[in-house]
Amino acid sequence: MSVQRKKSRRVVEREAQFKQYRADVQSRGKPFYPWAMFHDAAMSTVVVGVIIGLACVWYFTSGEDPHDVGWLGPRYAEPADPGTTTFVPRPDWYFYFLFYLLRIFKWPDSVILGTVGIPTILMILLFALPFLDVRRERRIVRRPVAVTALLLTAASMGVLTYKGAVAEEATAAGSEAVEQLIEEQNLPEGVRPGLELFLRTCTSCHTYAGEGSSNLGAPDLTTIGDTGRSVEQFMQILREGPGAMPSFANLPEENLRSVGEFLEASKGAG
Amino acid sequence: MAVPVRTKSRRRQQLEEAALYPLDWVEERSGLVGALKYFLFRKVPGDISWGHTLGSATLTAFLVQAITGAILAMYYKPHPDTAYESIQYITNDVTLGWLVRGMHRWGASVFIILMFFHMARVFLYGAYKYPRELNWIIGALLLILGMFEGFTGYLLPWDQTAYWATVVGVNLQGTGPFLGPFLVNVLNGGAEIGVDTLSRFYSIHMLLLPGAIFALIGLHLWLVIRLGVTSQPWSPEAAGSGEPEEPRPAREGLVRPARSGGSE
Ligand code: HEC
Ligand code: HEM
Repeated sequence: MSVQRKKSRRVVEREAQFKQYRADVQSRGKPFYPWAMFHDAAMSTVVVGVIIGLACVWYFTSGEDPHDVGWLGPRYAEPADPGTTTFVPRPDWYFYFLFYLLRIFKWPDSVILGTVGIPTILMILLFALPFLDVRRERRIVRRPVAVTALLLTAASMGVLTYKGAVAEEATAAGSEAVEQLIEEQNLPEGVRPGLELFLRTCTSCHTYAGEGSSNLGAPDLTTIGDTGRSVEQFMQILREGPGAMPSFANLPEENLRSVGEFLEASKGAG
Repeated sequence: MAVPVRTKSRRRQQLEEAALYPLDWVEERSGLVGALKYFLFRKVPGDISWGHTLGSATLTAFLVQAITGAILAMYYKPHPDTAYESIQYITNDVTLGWLVRGMHRWGASVFIILMFFHMARVFLYGAYKYPRELNWIIGALLLILGMFEGFTGYLLPWDQTAYWATVVGVNLQGTGPFLGPFLVNVLNGGAEIGVDTLSRFYSIHMLLLPGAIFALIGLHLWLVIRLGVTSQPWSPEAAGSGEPEEPRPAREGLVRPARSGGSE
């Protein structure tokens, strides 16, 4: 019943090559033990040594206090507090490159690229690689495209990780900033508490008339009042936390209201 | 005087038989000894290098995580009221607790870095090509599961960094189309990050993902043994280079046990 299909030349060739590989390994290979195993064991010893070394440096240069940072960071930060108003969200370092993408792609036009688009494309490329590159050639000098792709990937991930690591955190704006904003943005005096709270809490993601740092693709809020939403609606947004924004439902009601009033009054300088 | 020698050798034979008996017993019933022998004495290409040690180095880093993680689990208490304290207790009070936690924490980074290095080696050598495509895919799965291990483990100390990074991380996943909101529900175990989230992350971090990773590593290594590892592509005696029509007369260094690691 077997249907004899003619194998394509490529298939025949690669099967022959693998057979050749098998024969070569049989005739001139070396036994895994002790030869290769020795190298593996040596490398693994180095790895365990490095891990223990890092643990020691981390522990002995830091202290019991969360602010006693040491060379490699604190032993732990302050205990988690869902009701806090100042925080800087920061993932572990191997997510920095993704994290930094969200500073490049901004809400609302292109943030989907940073959150979903690019990671999905990277994943597809990762899994599809063996089917995209089906040439038999393995010598590096004859694979210029593959090698360039590797170098570019490594370089861009390196740069993004680095930039994510040194990315400027929102510095709590001083009281001059409050005066200046009230004046330049034509804000009524009554929103001062909301503005202060905003500058402490929200500028780690949102920019506002040049204050704060843009993060996670969060939109600029300088003219958010122009969207015609009511104070209540803004408070609801804060409670819900749309998209990547955390929910601020744990803030006291009057704080939510003062921020809401501030947002409602924000109609830009013009 | 051949007689005493003979008796001695017979006794020795008996001793050897007695010593080997358990091994034979196991072999007869499982074939495991033969499998181990095959694993240890199988041939590998004569030109494999230090680059080839990165895979087993990754495995070592993962085993460090498994062992230190099991010890941490004996002291860690996954509840928002107790997690932070138990982490402090492990770090500051438990004998060598700092070492175990420190190794687990930094081992995680080393594990991820080694996976990337190993992947770069495989890429550079073109080792993802026929017939090893499937092993590349298994490896890619391992990479992603490994990063999820990092993500779920990051929350467990229940400090500010952990909490807010996870709030944002989970929210970001929620922005994904179709699966996004569903994932958030599964991870959070509710609308907000709290008690249920912590126990879910804990279970995923210490049971679900490590189990999957162990299984995939098993498959990965099975394929490595079955297919063999690739030679260095630039090596003049690369196995299967297809260049020598007839097997070339072996070079001297290959016939004799190698003098050195032959890493170049
Ligand atoms: C962790 C980062 C982050 C923080 C902190 C944050 N936001 Fe947001 N915010 C976002 C993101 C991201 C969006 C876009 C959400 C989306 O995809 O719809 C957003 C959206 C908004 C919107 C809706 C904008 C629109 O046009 O629909 C408002 C209003 C807002 N944030 C106000 C605030 C206020 C006020 C605070 C401080 C209490 C704050 N945000 C803190 C990330 C953040
Ligand atoms: C938990 C993580 C991993 C472990 C423990 C692991 C382990 C190993 C080991 C021990 C080898 C034998 C040869 C060598 O060491 O180079 C190997 C080979 C291989 N690995 Fe991995 N690996 C992991 C992740 C990955 C990843 C992320 C990829 C790529 C996406 C990958 C792709 C491959 C391929 C294609 C081979 C065959 C290489 C060859 O034949 O030369 N592995 N792996």
